[in-house]
Amino acid sequence: MRDYTILILGGVVLLLAGAAWRSGGWELVLAGAVGGVKTLLLVAPLLLCAFLIAGLIQVLLTQEKVAYWLGEGSGWRGIFLACIGGALIPGGPYVYYPIAAALLRAGASLGVLVAFVSAKNVWPVVRLPLEFALLGPRLTVARLLTTFLIPPLLGFLAQALAGRQVEAIRENLKS
Amino acid sequence: MNLATFTLLIPAGILFAYAWRRGDGSHRRGLAKGGRTLLSVLPLLLLAFTTIGYVSVLLPQEGLQNLMGPDSGWRGLLRAQGMGMLMPGGPYVVLPLISTLYQLGTGLGATITLVTSWSSLSLLNALWEAHFIGWRFTLIRWTLLLPFPLLVGLLAEAWFGGTS
Repeated sequence: MRDYTILILGGVVLLLAGAAWRSGGWELVLAGAVGGVKTLLLVAPLLLCAFLIAGLIQVLLTQEKVAYWLGEGSGWRGIFLACIGGALIPGGPYVYYPIAAALLRAGASLGVLVAFVSAKNVWPVVRLPLEFALLGPRLTVARLLTTFLIPPLLGFLAQALAGRQVEAIRENLKS
Repeated sequence: MNLATFTLLIPAGILFAYAWRRGDGSHRRGLAKGGRTLLSVLPLLLLAFTTIGYVSVLLPQEGLQNLMGPDSGWRGLLRAQGMGMLMPGGPYVVLPLISTLYQLGTGLGATITLVTSWSSLSLLNALWEAHFIGWRFTLIRWTLLLPFPLLVGLLAEAWFGGTS
């Protein structure tokens, strides 16, 4: 996955450098690259902190721990716990989707599953330091406040509107 | 040292102290884990920031402000939502790019719509989800979530848009 990302991003950089060369010659090619590296150096201390926090959280909080306390909840309590679990769980989609599938197999409701995935998407504790570093405090706080209700709300909505679909979803899980 | 760095140093310090007090080497493993992650995404970060450098010198700022600037209204938010869904890649690539778009004149509401749309409705992510849990689940979650990035942008613009 990451190798593809590097190739694609490398291609994008080449295309952009080509576009810069066409509109401003080598001078603009250099200006773009230098500007990018300067920005990176500017946020480097912040990035270091962000990665330190992410590393510590991942060591202190294992995926098994999160899945363990999510296994038992249902209803209100389940959706609430799923929101917290989703916010805290580290890792990319290839980590949390298998965990979501395991929760489903263990008997989690549709609402719990939707709340878990949504919380991972909008309140990700491990991603927040990076977001804070790159977008600044005002935007990060505004985003957190405006999206605060989404995970529980979506969990309840999913449970109320489509809760019965959960059996069909469970049956189709690859074993 | 600026305020943002200082604000991040506090949780880093607390977590480190907590890990250290556990006395099981968690602090060292946490440091190593963070360092390894940083090293493994470093090439990606370099490329992402070079992209940003080019976007900054090539993108006409007026054009961007018309498309997604603070006065672009709900149409701007809709564009931000569409763009967020199409943005490929993880936070190391997408967040630096969004931060550049923000600095170049994308409005606060549109930027928040962009982050929300990318993180919850990204098409690439939907593929992972469908693979592990199934299309039926993806379809339900997606349909329910679809109006939210736009709403969140409107709300952010209303609550936080005026002060800067």
